[in-house]
Amino acid sequence: MKTVGMLIDVTKCIGCERCVAACVEANHLDPVRADHDKAVISDGLSANRLSTVVQLTSDRFAKKACMHCVDPSCVAACLVGGITKSENGAVVYDPDKCIGCRYCMLACPFHVPRYEWGEIVPFMKKCELCEERLAQGEIPACADACPQDVITYGDREELLAEAHRRIQANPGQYLNHVWGEEEFGGTSVMYISDVDLAELGWPDAKAEPIPEMVAPVVHATPYIAGSVLFSVAGLNWVVRRRMQRMGEAESTEGKAHDSEETAS
Amino acid sequence: MNEELSRERIRRIKDIFWILAFVGVVAMVLRFVFGLGATTELTDRVPWGLWKIFNMVGGAALATSGFTIGFLGHVLHIKKLERFVKPAIAIAFLGYGSSLFALLFDIGLPWRFWHPFVYWNIHSFLFEVFWCVSFYFMITFIELSPTLLERIGLAGLRGWLHKFAAVFVIIGITLSSMHHTSLGSLFLVTPQRLHALWYSPIISLLFIISAMGGGMMVLLLLKVLVSYWYEPDRLFSTTKQTSGVIECKACTNPDDNGHGQPSEPPDMPSLRLLATIAAGILGFYLVLKVADLVLRPDAVAALKAGTWESWLYGIEMVFGVVLPIIMVMIPKIRRSASGLAVAAAFAASGLALNRMNVGIFGYFRDAGSVYFPSAVEWAITVGVLSMAGLAFFFLVENFTVFNDNWKLRGLQQRRITSAFDRLTFVWHHRLLTGLERVTLIGVVAVPVAFLLLYPDYHKDPVTMVQQPTAIDLTRDTLLIDGNRTGVSAVFAHKAHQQRLGGDQSCGKCHHLAMPDDQATPCTYCHSAMETDTRIFDHKQHATLVAEDKGLGGWHPENQSCTQCHTPFMAKNAESAKGCLECHEQDMKPVDPPEAKLAMMEAIDYHQAMHQTCIPCHKEEAARVEMAHLGDCATCHYGDVNTLTPQEIEEESSQLASLLSYLGIKR
Repeated sequence: MKTVGMLIDVTKCIGCERCVAACVEANHLDPVRADHDKAVISDGLSANRLSTVVQLTSDRFAKKACMHCVDPSCVAACLVGGITKSENGAVVYDPDKCIGCRYCMLACPFHVPRYEWGEIVPFMKKCELCEERLAQGEIPACADACPQDVITYGDREELLAEAHRRIQANPGQYLNHVWGEEEFGGTSVMYISDVDLAELGWPDAKAEPIPEMVAPVVHATPYIAGSVLFSVAGLNWVVRRRMQRMGEAESTEGKAHDSEETAS
Repeated sequence: MNEELSRERIRRIKDIFWILAFVGVVAMVLRFVFGLGATTELTDRVPWGLWKIFNMVGGAALATSGFTIGFLGHVLHIKKLERFVKPAIAIAFLGYGSSLFALLFDIGLPWRFWHPFVYWNIHSFLFEVFWCVSFYFMITFIELSPTLLERIGLAGLRGWLHKFAAVFVIIGITLSSMHHTSLGSLFLVTPQRLHALWYSPIISLLFIISAMGGGMMVLLLLKVLVSYWYEPDRLFSTTKQTSGVIECKACTNPDDNGHGQPSEPPDMPSLRLLATIAAGILGFYLVLKVADLVLRPDAVAALKAGTWESWLYGIEMVFGVVLPIIMVMIPKIRRSASGLAVAAAFAASGLALNRMNVGIFGYFRDAGSVYFPSAVEWAITVGVLSMAGLAFFFLVENFTVFNDNWKLRGLQQRRITSAFDRLTFVWHHRLLTGLERVTLIGVVAVPVAFLLLYPDYHKDPVTMVQQPTAIDLTRDTLLIDGNRTGVSAVFAHKAHQQRLGGDQSCGKCHHLAMPDDQATPCTYCHSAMETDTRIFDHKQHATLVAEDKGLGGWHPENQSCTQCHTPFMAKNAESAKGCLECHEQDMKPVDPPEAKLAMMEAIDYHQAMHQTCIPCHKEEAARVEMAHLGDCATCHYGDVNTLTPQEIEEESSQLASLLSYLGIKR
């Protein structure tokens, strides 16, 4: 199956938030902003808002939701394997496995996973690329709802080519950069823009995916464990044997001493 | 030391621990009743707080002595350190036990704590930490069990277990070295979030080395404390006479044991060796830390920046690492148990601060917000540690943990007393011992804790929208900038008022939906820029309805349900009365909503403003055939904040001229 994704053209966005409204409907979220919601932080994402529109400058807006990384940090972080990369490239969450450790929230470079802080039995919430809608052959709700064709849904490779084509066609209109092409090993949701997107959570992004960055440490673990185990066990054996020898020597000496004494 | 005084002192310490433990239990109850969000200060920005970082990551580091001393004592058979193996294992058992216990309150779904045993993700550092920590905890229990079995008289089983001691020690060392490195690796996945001073590629190595050194220092500190409380003559020569253990007949000078050395308390040499090894490991850690700092240019830059992170880093390194090493190097301090204890206290606090820096403070800059734990978080953290402290006292007093020749000293013996003096009707707290004392503490501490810790649910909602500001005292012209972008819409309030009918016109725009509404700002209900807000206050309604209807009883608000909800039906929105059934008189909605409970929610500010202005403007535009009256730019001039008040006045005077064209005098 091909890997799908979305291309977001920041220059076209008017900030109408229809994508957010469509997202709320498609994910059966509470349309009402919960009144004592301390979890709402500046970008507007919360357990009750899986996507949001961030104002970048006075007339530039951008939709923000899960970037669906090609090699996601959260998938590597989850200790029960509750977050997985599905065949079509979406990063999906299995609430039945989750234990609520919130390591995914720490691991995500984009601060995307949010927690249901208001619930007694809380789960993590994030965009899952409209899994249900895709299964029915529809496209994600936000891409469907956008009145300005800001969000293009399709094959990731094709979208990448399209992004470059748009930048080539109007060199003055865009910064020559496709956000999500290389950052953290690439993301399925990509942006082209004429303003900087740092505010959106594209930090001084490294080209390497985080799981690959830490992979040497992960792979070294069994070897470290093995070497510790065998070196300590070996040391234990050597020391014991040495002590045993010394004990034998002492006891024979002692015996000799005793016999001498008795003899005298 | 006076034994009676010592006894009293231990009892006081235990009392404090009991108080804190009871408060902790209350906090645990509240945590489960009200949920994680209501009882903690954790947010999406700072998802890991005190329980994970201090209790788990810090607690594991402080309890590290189990495996290092196990290695030195049981594998290398260093005679002087063998006496420390049992206390080290006891500390590890209590430390890990309390850490795992605290973690049960931190994870969102604690009844699924067994999931990682069934669902595997071997690429996750947390998975490795979980497995190694939980198995290591079991190993410490097995290692500790001979001590426990001996006490209850199962020596045979103890001997059988002893045969496998070496196996458990070796497995324990392996598991420890794995999880201590993994605890550091946990933070490797946050390269752009953790502050550069602490985000190091060798963080796993730094974690295990610092834990080895700091953990030994914790053991040293506890050894000194236990000696001080229970058997001071083993470490302290408080009196002039020699402690009577080392007696050398050849010596004429009682302070000289014949080897040119003044005699010292019997446990001092092994304590000094422990301190020296710990300081040596800390020295190695210091070298690693300095190399790590110097080789990373971003870290050097961050340190030079002089931010509060640099200061935290400096405090951690100077007081937590350099100072203890120097103290141990000074011969006079090395010969004094209390001097070593002070050095150990510095090292242990430095270790704890390092874990807090890595796990909490190092994330503040990226999070853009500061996290300070809530009362419930503090109460559980401190409560769990107090429980571990009480368990430590229990082990020390009843088992041969610190001293093989331990005899129960009767510290726990209860004096037969009457707590309540029938003659004077007074409780004599000094007479209380044992269970009565604890019960009394519980009876006092639990209700007080409930009062103090009860989560504050009705925090004011975050007002996200900014109220319009006036550029003149009479509020003739308003600047509307709800989303605080600095770009306002200009609204000629007075001109509109005049045009729409003077003082009687308020209701044409303001829906006056609050009971007896006078001057409630729009932002009071429409408090979110782009999303709806629930404005119905159920508790307030229950109270007010009860007052209104004159309901009696202790809690009249609990009698008022059927005033709004249909009797014998579920108390939900379906069975509730419509808002206007009661509020028809005092609230005069401009256009009454169709859904009966629609007034429970306020639409977003953006729409509330637009729906008020645009339809009317469009109508007027069509009526007077001036298309631009319906344009966005009629109100949204651009960045008016850069204009002077005079310029704004001019802009609004253009509006005024428009209005005068329409036949309205300003």
